[in-house]
Amino acid sequence: MPHEDPQPPEPAKRFQKQGFSYENAIKFFFASNAGLTIVILALIITFLLKEGLGFFPGYQRELEVYRIAGLEFVDISRKNLTAHEQITSILNRSYYAEINGNCAHQMHRSQEASALVNAYSDLTGPTRDLIVNNSQPDSSPSPEMLTNLKKNFEKQKSKALSTLPPTPHLTPEERQALIESIRSRAFDATEDPPLVASLATEFAEAREKQVKPLERLRTTIDTFESAGSELSSLVSEMTGSVTATKEKIQHADILEKDRKTLLAAASGAKDPVEREKLIAAAHASLAEKPDIEGPINILMERRPACIAVHQSLKDAAASISTQLPNSLTQPEATNLLKVAHNLWPLFLADLEKTPQTINDWNHKTPVPLSTAISSFLTGKDWVTGGEWQDFYGILPLAAGSLMISIVALTLAIPSGIGAAIYVNQFASKREQSLIKPVIEFIQAIPSVVLGFIGILIFGTILRDLSLMDSLRWIPGFPIEERLNIFTAGCLLALMSIPTIFSLAEDAINNVPSAYAEAAEALGASRVQTTFRVIIPAAFSGILAAVLLGFGRVIGETMVVLLVAGNRIKIPDFTSGLGTFFQPCHTLTGIIAQELGEVPLGSVHYRALFVVGILLFAVVLIINATAHRFVNRMRQ
Amino acid sequence: MFNPETLIRKGLPKGHFKDVAARSFLGGITYLVVSIAVLLFAKIIADGAPVLFKPEAPFVDFEFLTAKNETLHVFDDAQGNRHQLPAAAYSQYVSQHEGATQFNEQTYSYSGGGIAGPIAGTALLTIGSMILALFFGVSAAIYLSEYAKQSPFIHAIRLAILNLAGIPSIVFGLFGFSVFVLAVPVITSAPSDRSLLAIPLLIGDYFLSFQGWNSSLMAGCATLACMILPVIITASEESLRAVPQGFRDASLAMGATRWQTIRKCVLPFSLPGILTSSLLAITRVAGETAPIMFTAAVAAKDDLPWQGLKNPFDLLSSQVQALPYHIYTLAARIPSSEFTQRAQYGSVFVFLLLVAFLSLGSMILRAKLRAKLKW
Amino acid sequence: MVSMQTAIQIQNVSFAYGAKQVLHDVCMDIPARQVTAYIGPSGCGKSTLLRCFNRINDRISGAHLTAGSIRIHDVDINRADIDLQELRRRVGMVFQKYNPFAKSIYDNVAFSLRVAGKTKRSELDDIVEDALKNAALWDEVKDRLHSSAFGLSGGQQQRLCIARAIANQPEILLMDEPCAALDPLATLKIEELISELKKQYTIIIVTHNMAQATRCSDQTAFMYLGKLVEFGPTMQIFENPKDPQTEAYVTGTFG
Repeated sequence: MPHEDPQPPEPAKRFQKQGFSYENAIKFFFASNAGLTIVILALIITFLLKEGLGFFPGYQRELEVYRIAGLEFVDISRKNLTAHEQITSILNRSYYAEINGNCAHQMHRSQEASALVNAYSDLTGPTRDLIVNNSQPDSSPSPEMLTNLKKNFEKQKSKALSTLPPTPHLTPEERQALIESIRSRAFDATEDPPLVASLATEFAEAREKQVKPLERLRTTIDTFESAGSELSSLVSEMTGSVTATKEKIQHADILEKDRKTLLAAASGAKDPVEREKLIAAAHASLAEKPDIEGPINILMERRPACIAVHQSLKDAAASISTQLPNSLTQPEATNLLKVAHNLWPLFLADLEKTPQTINDWNHKTPVPLSTAISSFLTGKDWVTGGEWQDFYGILPLAAGSLMISIVALTLAIPSGIGAAIYVNQFASKREQSLIKPVIEFIQAIPSVVLGFIGILIFGTILRDLSLMDSLRWIPGFPIEERLNIFTAGCLLALMSIPTIFSLAEDAINNVPSAYAEAAEALGASRVQTTFRVIIPAAFSGILAAVLLGFGRVIGETMVVLLVAGNRIKIPDFTSGLGTFFQPCHTLTGIIAQELGEVPLGSVHYRALFVVGILLFAVVLIINATAHRFVNRMRQ
Repeated sequence: MFNPETLIRKGLPKGHFKDVAARSFLGGITYLVVSIAVLLFAKIIADGAPVLFKPEAPFVDFEFLTAKNETLHVFDDAQGNRHQLPAAAYSQYVSQHEGATQFNEQTYSYSGGGIAGPIAGTALLTIGSMILALFFGVSAAIYLSEYAKQSPFIHAIRLAILNLAGIPSIVFGLFGFSVFVLAVPVITSAPSDRSLLAIPLLIGDYFLSFQGWNSSLMAGCATLACMILPVIITASEESLRAVPQGFRDASLAMGATRWQTIRKCVLPFSLPGILTSSLLAITRVAGETAPIMFTAAVAAKDDLPWQGLKNPFDLLSSQVQALPYHIYTLAARIPSSEFTQRAQYGSVFVFLLLVAFLSLGSMILRAKLRAKLKW
Repeated sequence: MVSMQTAIQIQNVSFAYGAKQVLHDVCMDIPARQVTAYIGPSGCGKSTLLRCFNRINDRISGAHLTAGSIRIHDVDINRADIDLQELRRRVGMVFQKYNPFAKSIYDNVAFSLRVAGKTKRSELDDIVEDALKNAALWDEVKDRLHSSAFGLSGGQQQRLCIARAIANQPEILLMDEPCAALDPLATLKIEELISELKKQYTIIIVTHNMAQATRCSDQTAFMYLGKLVEFGPTMQIFENPKDPQTEAYVTGTFG
């Protein structure tokens, strides 16, 4: 180095005398900065555990209260009630699917006509109301303003008429007539145009015709529905008393906690006067033990009534199931009927078991910690902030995350790896310089932008597609929600394609060229060389790419928060592939959505940290496996 | 006996159709991905560009970039003219036209004005976290590439880096929230109730209280820095290792100390590489939403970050708006309509433009670097 | 009229990688069922020439024949309608660094047959056994045919590569410094194998090792700076070279 300044050696020596060298200090400085990574990782683990582990005892206490207050007892009956309501609603949906399906044509015509009129009214309504209000005798608008408003109205009217929704089931003449009647009606007229009314009548008549042959089904459904009314009133009677008990217990818990805090503060206080004051306050906060036995005994007295109600519901349900038809003319109706038929035996079996469960139930059965853990890991409900009881079951969230990952990986693996193979093996230099930057740029897009694309562009396109008659055959179409598992999966696929692509391309690129050369020298064609030699040799690298893509998908937050639909419910797998078009919630999304709204230190707050621990562990395992594959590839 | 005639194929080569099928299948997939990406960009550009650009000189609508974010008021006046005014202009209008009635008034949150606040917030977050991450990251990389020998300590560091790199961003959000927002020490005269530990300092009435920095610019920067640290370390170490061993040997042989060698013979040559890869890290830091949701970001704020401060420290301990969080708010919290589109697509377009510039810059720099540095 | 004894006719061949000319006007006839050795200093173009015989140079972008022709049994292998895969099946090749695939021993040998469309198990079994026997490897590996090829020693791996190359019964076998990465004992085994194989195949070998050339080749060609300097029977090249450059090289005064 020509411009190296000659450094006098003295300073170093001076430090050395004290057993501390300047060089070593620098080294120590760098080493400590490197050690920072370990500190950060340790902090992450410590704080996740610190906040998270408190969850289980807290949840255990919540479940204990749930039991001793008798909420659990009520839920035995409530569960059957819910099942009954579910079956009723399926039967009703089947009934209406049959009727509406049989007069679908009339229904569409009527709906389209009213949709058209409504679209017009939505746009012109506000201005029209203004004019009407200002024309009242008691208001005194300036004439200039009225003219302006009327001008405005005309403007909006012509705009509205030019943006009317399509009416594929109406003939052009009918549409023309409809538009004409809107155009020509007095602006303060509110009654529907005659065609809308006549189409509505037409539809009503068609329905009427359909109702006749289904009368028996209707009666059956109604009988079933009313069979549950007794149970329903019983449950609501019990609900009030147990909720009151629960509140009492919770209040006592809070007082007890305050007392402990005060006592702890008292033992730490130095000033004796202060200490006395704190102890006095603690004594004042001593809660009287809430009366548990009284309300529970009242509840227990209802046992025979409860059992009797279940008995009669079971008998009614068993006889009704034989009266239901096996199929209807509309496929959707038949499908729903089938679902009901499938649910029936489960429902009856549950009812059968209920009296035993009711008799066995005892509010004194202890709730061990393991119950809290297992009900977190295998619980089917994540219910928070409810008035009844909070449950923290992870299954709906895990199922959502998993379903989205399945969709994303199903799309991203073939396209990511396919593109990697193509770019590395077959593409010309020119193609490479086009494809690679585009895919690299996809990687640079922030996930929140992808989420935005999902909400405003992709979801809408998907919904419009699903409404097309020619695509009805796809299971799950037409979709109910534009934000669902499939939408989120597609966007996450787009997000993980660059990861999978670049890692897989690296893996393929790292296969020694001697392999390809040897294969071609043995008479293999390019495609044979690629698929029989290069891909197998790069296999573990490609597997690592897929795993890292999976890790990225499962840990991604913003896209799923925006696009997955955020319905906390295990997807209804009875709808087959249509399941993928249901909304769901995810492990990452729940943290992002709820952390900002929970009280610090509450059970709910801690539950979110446990979800975080779970995510952390899952992603670490995935990444560790991936790196093992990468190392195997290197060897 | 060998018949040389077999070397000459008749018609198309064997397996030709398989070849063509395989190639076109793979090519089809590839171009499908590419064209989907291009279509999405085109859609955003088509909807977003008109917000930022206009047909007459100076072609760029700086107002969108420099105006504060406000609620948008849409209404008709008595003449039937439709007005779209952001909150400040709206109240001015109302005071000017006292007594006049507005019709069909509707308000759209976050949709009026520009995005100066989010841009400034993101810039501050990015600068702050990159300063932290570069300082600690480059130092760590120097240790790993220049000093470290095989030892359990180094092994642990590498394992930690590997694991940190894989942690989902939302977990960093949880970490930042529980550590930087709620637990790191501050010096204060009045420790908060939830302080984990308050140690009285001997000077005055002050305590060293472990109560966190609250949701603030500081906490956000620290969280983002932790998240990006492994990326910076890995990239810097790579650049440092790319400097030939000979440079170091020569310098050490001339009697320079280790630190002099690093400062004069290694760092200057690896600096361009480190900076190039930090550009890519910036795109990631600027685009992350999950880690700042609970540590720094706020949806609505009247002042720009540096306005209304009593002392510079207030800047660090106040919440900021951030572009990615703003986009999240626009996408998730408000219903889309013709009046919100300007804000929605405009913000996304500006954001994408920013990301595109950064990643393009890093691509070009990388190419230049490769061409320039060859030893 | 070409004699049936000539396997490869090289006529005025010039060859370039892009703009870089590496072979200049090479002419020679390689006799069938003999071992022909190419010697010469590094970068003289001997490997390039060898790699022209099965057109494996096509893999490298920009590599092309600028003049002349190469004819194998009177068929110009650079014509447009050559079946490239068939050519490579007829002209086997063994590389400098042994490069078995990450597959089992059996799958390595059967590879060329499978890509040619032969998949009948019994047929493959016979051919694999024959090839391994011909490569003098059968006794060493017959008990672990389905274990990974990477478990073999270097010399065994190279013999596996030879077995792989002869499994398809090629006419010509190209060997590009087959012993460069091997120890002397393994080298000896390969050389023995070569003298065994020349009964069935035309063998062309590139070597740096002049002793090796004298030990196992019948004909020797000396190349220098992309040109063929001298070609003739091995004994004559080493004992009585006509060209002073050849003499300098074989006596070790340069190169």
